[in-house]
Amino acid sequence: MSDVFVLAEHRQGELRDITLEMLTLANGVAEKLGGNTVAVLLGSGVDSFAEKVSGYSDKVLYIDDPLFEDYNSEKYQRVLAALLDDYKPTLLMVGHTTQGVDMAPALAVEKQLPFISDVFEFEFEDGKPIPVRQFYGGKVNANVAFKGDPPYLATIREASVEVGEPSKQGSVEKIDSPLKEDIDYRRFIEYIEAEVGDVDITQSEILVAVGRGVREDKNMPMVEELAQVLKADLCGSRAATDAGWLPHDRQVGTSGKTVKPKLYLAIGISGAFQHLAGMKGAKTIVAINKDPEAPIFAEADYGIVDDLFKVVPVLTEKLKELKG
Amino acid sequence: METELQSFIEKYDLLGCIQCGRCTGGCPVTVRTNLNVRRFVYDSLDEDILEELANLPEIWDCTACSTCAVRCPKGLKPLEVLIGLRGILVEGGRVQPTVRDALESVFREGNPWDKPRAARCDWMKDLDVRIAEPGEAVENLIFVCCTIVYDPKLQVIAQNLVRILNKAGVDFAFIGEDETCCGSEVHNLGEEGLFEMLVEDNTELLNSFNAKRMVTISPHCYTAFKNEHPDLKMEVVHYTQLVGELLEDKKLELTREVPQRIVFHDPCFLGKQNHVFDEPRYILGNIPGAELVEFDRCRERSLCCEGGGGKMWVETESTKERLSDTRVKDARALEAGILAVACPFCELTLDDSVKAKGFEEEMRVAEILEILGEAIED
Repeated sequence: MSDVFVLAEHRQGELRDITLEMLTLANGVAEKLGGNTVAVLLGSGVDSFAEKVSGYSDKVLYIDDPLFEDYNSEKYQRVLAALLDDYKPTLLMVGHTTQGVDMAPALAVEKQLPFISDVFEFEFEDGKPIPVRQFYGGKVNANVAFKGDPPYLATIREASVEVGEPSKQGSVEKIDSPLKEDIDYRRFIEYIEAEVGDVDITQSEILVAVGRGVREDKNMPMVEELAQVLKADLCGSRAATDAGWLPHDRQVGTSGKTVKPKLYLAIGISGAFQHLAGMKGAKTIVAINKDPEAPIFAEADYGIVDDLFKVVPVLTEKLKELKG
Repeated sequence: METELQSFIEKYDLLGCIQCGRCTGGCPVTVRTNLNVRRFVYDSLDEDILEELANLPEIWDCTACSTCAVRCPKGLKPLEVLIGLRGILVEGGRVQPTVRDALESVFREGNPWDKPRAARCDWMKDLDVRIAEPGEAVENLIFVCCTIVYDPKLQVIAQNLVRILNKAGVDFAFIGEDETCCGSEVHNLGEEGLFEMLVEDNTELLNSFNAKRMVTISPHCYTAFKNEHPDLKMEVVHYTQLVGELLEDKKLELTREVPQRIVFHDPCFLGKQNHVFDEPRYILGNIPGAELVEFDRCRERSLCCEGGGGKMWVETESTKERLSDTRVKDARALEAGILAVACPFCELTLDDSVKAKGFEEEMRVAEILEILGEAIED
């Protein structure tokens, strides 16, 4: 009792970031509860992962079995159900990831667990962990209490915790799989990689967007260089894709794509209404345009009123300097 | 109770089609896409393959300009078949995210632009205007349009209408925050259920005002209220009809010169679909100093700008020249300084093309009300 279990997540031979993020969060919770952090690792020949997670947990329960070569929600669910019965932790954390959201609800139903999804933080009331999650598209943070008795189940939002240096040296305990035979009604078939070179601008964190102001195809390398320094993807207005400077799947706007990057750098875009509607969800908008009346400035957080051909090279140089 | 569902064939009167091909022959988008609307009418006779037809990307090329319906000798509306096929996708939740978001925004906020309803009246915050109260008599109830109220560049259109009507001493009022999308584009995108809901709600809302007539600014709203709201208890006019009347009755005088060569682009939803051809020309012809010229393709034969039919939210795969690009090139060839429009979608698409073609120095796109704003003195 009082322990916090964390399901380690890995895919294609890589331990996913969410694992250490959850363990970091779990360490804080376990300390308050007066229990231990226990990482649960299912896999085949993934000793290096066991070692890695041991640096962030008090104990690692490691099932090393070919049955768990690839992720399978059904098998994971069976194993976790058995471990919950055996160890009776207070809380089980699973990533709010494609893997986690596939399995956690089913496990909650099977074991009748109090379950709260997409949690990014925990508070405490009378020694009980109170998950914090968001409502209304991220506008409101809400403390949501578990209803009923432990074990509790929570899925944890990705990238919500900063992971520090390893500070523990948990013991690694290899245990036998509670699941002895493979199941045939739900099988792993193949892992399909996204095509290389295909950029999905709706998922980009930083976007450099070009518009009519760039004038000619031969001016694109200047913008491409800036994008490279910023590690940004390129996109554009309808004028830019129509002119053939960018493929059509890079068009931002109501008839193109709706993007929500952390940074949207609009270069030579005046900001037609249809374009603005496709990018107003960006966290920070920076616009460079020579026309101070351009509608883009009404949406922009920062604006540079000047000739983009003067600004962009300077900006690129400064960024290079900053990045050393 | 037994209800009988109308079949696709019955709904669109497909058996009435004689396959003459006038629809496809006149369809403006055939120059840049593979859309063959006659073919769709024919193929839809086999109701077993409707799903298959709905998955063909061409159904999204239609701009709902209605040239096909205008030309059909049997009085059919071939474009509606394409809209019906879009409806199959909408029903199955299989539309593009851009379309889904626009429809969801209409449902939630009463406009397709994902803008809050609470900001619907921001454009009028510096103006002293009347908001209509239920039951209170008003001569002209103004329906502004979602695109004009939210696009900061287009808001001047509504602001100028206020100036003009005040100057002419017209009794008018606005609907205010309750003004809700007319549903024209909702229908064109194939979301029939939402459209029916809007028609019902808007009919109830608008009838609650004691208005003699409703004045619309966008031709899309005009056609929706005039032709698709059978229970609306008021006359519906387009603002060009009202302003034309005011000029004719000398209630409005245009005194400032706009020394420009102006060419008028007929919006499909005003011209082809509702035969309002003369009023915009009458207004423009009354502007001192302006010289009005005509496109070769004008009035019933006007070239669509591709802004309607839901195309604000759907991109055609074709990389051939956009019709709006062709249109601004034609305007440039006429050496027009102003390409005049009477529709917000025409303004957005043509303005984009002026930029894309690099004609910004030589010409501009302006809504008639924008030009009128320059021609009147306050």
